Amino acid sequence: METELRLLWVAIVAYVLSGSVAIFGLILKRRPDGFVLAAMAGGLLLHAAAVALRWDRLGHGPFVTLFEILSSNVWSLTLIYCLAYWRYRAVRPAAAFVMPVLFVLMGWLMLSSPEEGHFPVTYRTPWLYIHVGLSKVFLGCVLIALGMAVVVLLRRQGLALGRLAGLPPDGRLDDLAYRFMALGLVFQSLMLVSGAIWAQDAWGRYWAWDPLETWSFVTWLLLAFALHLRLTLRASAPAGAWMIVAVFGLAFLTFFGVPFLTTSPHKGAV
Amino acid sequence: MTVHAVAVTPGRRAVRGAWLARAGSLRLTLGILPLLAAGVLAAYEGPAGDYATWVLVVPLALLAGNLLAAVASHPAFRRQGALLVFHLALLALILLVAASRLCYLKGTAEVLSGGEFAGLKDREAGPWHRDRTGDLRFESLGFSIAYRPGLRRSGTENRVRWRDAQGIPREQVVGDQEPLVLDGYRFYTTHHKGFAPVFSWRPGTGTADVGSVHLPAYPEHEHRQWNEWRLPGLAEPVWVQLAIEETVLDPAGPTAFRVPARHHLVVRHGEERVTLRPGEAARLAGGELRYLELRTWMGYAVFHDWTIPWLLATCVLAIVALAWHVRCKHFSRPWRPEAQAEEKGMEG
Ligand code: HEM
Repeated sequence: METELRLLWVAIVAYVLSGSVAIFGLILKRRPDGFVLAAMAGGLLLHAAAVALRWDRLGHGPFVTLFEILSSNVWSLTLIYCLAYWRYRAVRPAAAFVMPVLFVLMGWLMLSSPEEGHFPVTYRTPWLYIHVGLSKVFLGCVLIALGMAVVVLLRRQGLALGRLAGLPPDGRLDDLAYRFMALGLVFQSLMLVSGAIWAQDAWGRYWAWDPLETWSFVTWLLLAFALHLRLTLRASAPAGAWMIVAVFGLAFLTFFGVPFLTTSPHKGAV
Repeated sequence: MTVHAVAVTPGRRAVRGAWLARAGSLRLTLGILPLLAAGVLAAYEGPAGDYATWVLVVPLALLAGNLLAAVASHPAFRRQGALLVFHLALLALILLVAASRLCYLKGTAEVLSGGEFAGLKDREAGPWHRDRTGDLRFESLGFSIAYRPGLRRSGTENRVRWRDAQGIPREQVVGDQEPLVLDGYRFYTTHHKGFAPVFSWRPGTGTADVGSVHLPAYPEHEHRQWNEWRLPGLAEPVWVQLAIEETVLDPAGPTAFRVPARHHLVVRHGEERVTLRPGEAARLAGGELRYLELRTWMGYAVFHDWTIPWLLATCVLAIVALAWHVRCKHFSRPWRPEAQAEEKGMEG
């Protein structure tokens, strides 16, 4: 366990370094993109090693305890963001806003106990990987959109003009952000359906309005609302950006608020 | 005549078209989606029953109407085939969910190991469900449940036997992720299981009858292992308690669910009180009660809903269509930030 934890802490240091350099880059109007990307990727590799060691030791993946769920989400969200960072140069400065969101999860991770949990018998199915994997891609898509939304909103407030002013215009950012929102809807729909299949197998009901199911469905409706609002009222880029913030906020609360406020994530889960 | 028809028809059509466009307005959708979200939250937080049904049914019905009108009237659907399929699938989903609520059955059953399924214990069903559980037959041949240290349940295997449509006996191991499916009814094993003393009862004159009493679930109600039942011909109920004289499930290490080898029963009937071990009998006022053996019973969650495969197929269709639409509309052209902005960005 010692080695796992040590690897994890070094990975977190790399992430924090990456995020901090992105923030300073924005403030000081520098372009430290190469360093930010390298630190992020290095952190991901170390973090992957920590997760793999733990997986091997316990015989199950990071799906059970708060520590494991936070750790796997920090990893998957950073991975998805890292890919977007590498692929879309124009949105790189948004790392200064996205990484702090991940810092929140990292801080929480450091405060949680790395003790082993009980791997429920209902988790012994490929649906675990499918359902959890899809949910991570969904949240990753909305996180990427969030980065662009924050740029639009800050520009609208007249803040951080320097490097942000040089980015593509709001309309273009809005276009890219909503590509990821639409993609997010596909993955969220897949996540809901795979969860229902799993629930039917495991508990004999495909849907029972438990807290997580209810809030995920409300998030799905909000995402549909955001897409429709943009099309129907030809919403301006800032209005679209606020909708992205709302969808991300609700998705974040559903993922990380609901499971830890109720005794078990899904009613009757264990 | 002809002139008259030509003059009226377009007018009607135009009026109908205007109504359809109004009913299918996307502004209306923007009102209904939050209404549905509010309905979901109200049903979740509020009291169950009719209230929970109506706060969901009303927005879903509005959504279906709005969707249908939009599909019939909105030009966007003629231009974008995949988007049309997606929204039609959403409409089909609403109808299927309504059918599901009208026709489903949810219940519980308890079956003695070595005994036959003899009907549901509790049930809840839609008004259109034709209950055929009375015709179902299967036998539970017993089960095993493994526990990891700390009494963590790790696997349930329940052997069951039933006859297929040709009358051929079949055996299957069900449990955890695998239900027994009989005539569309799905029987899922649950953590609800326990012990059942088996008795024979011979009234004063007459032949002996064999029956069992299911005690409360174990280990969930470890300290409440008693129950009461009525014997044929006796006015007063008989009360029985299982006294276990050993540790059945030791949390210290890996273990398995089993019938305790050392135990006895305490039986009370009116003022009489007797202690029985397997094979022993007690004379009660009115007959002889013999304790034959201790067995187990398994609790099942029972579910029937013919819409499930249709719901799944419709969801798959909806998502494939949505993915196709997203690909065509959002990801078919490369995203190029304006060249000028890109350059500025580089300098920044
Ligand atoms: C009453 C309900 C609904 C109606 C009448 C409706 C109607 C429409 C129409 C007409 C469009 C095309 C708009 C255009 O291209 O100008 C559209 C787009 C869309 N709708 Fe709906 N819709 C409804 C419900 C939903 C729901 C519940 C979802 C759930 C996710 C949804 C997801 C979408 C998506 C993803 C698009 C495409 C967005 C885009 O291309 O960016 N719709 N809808």
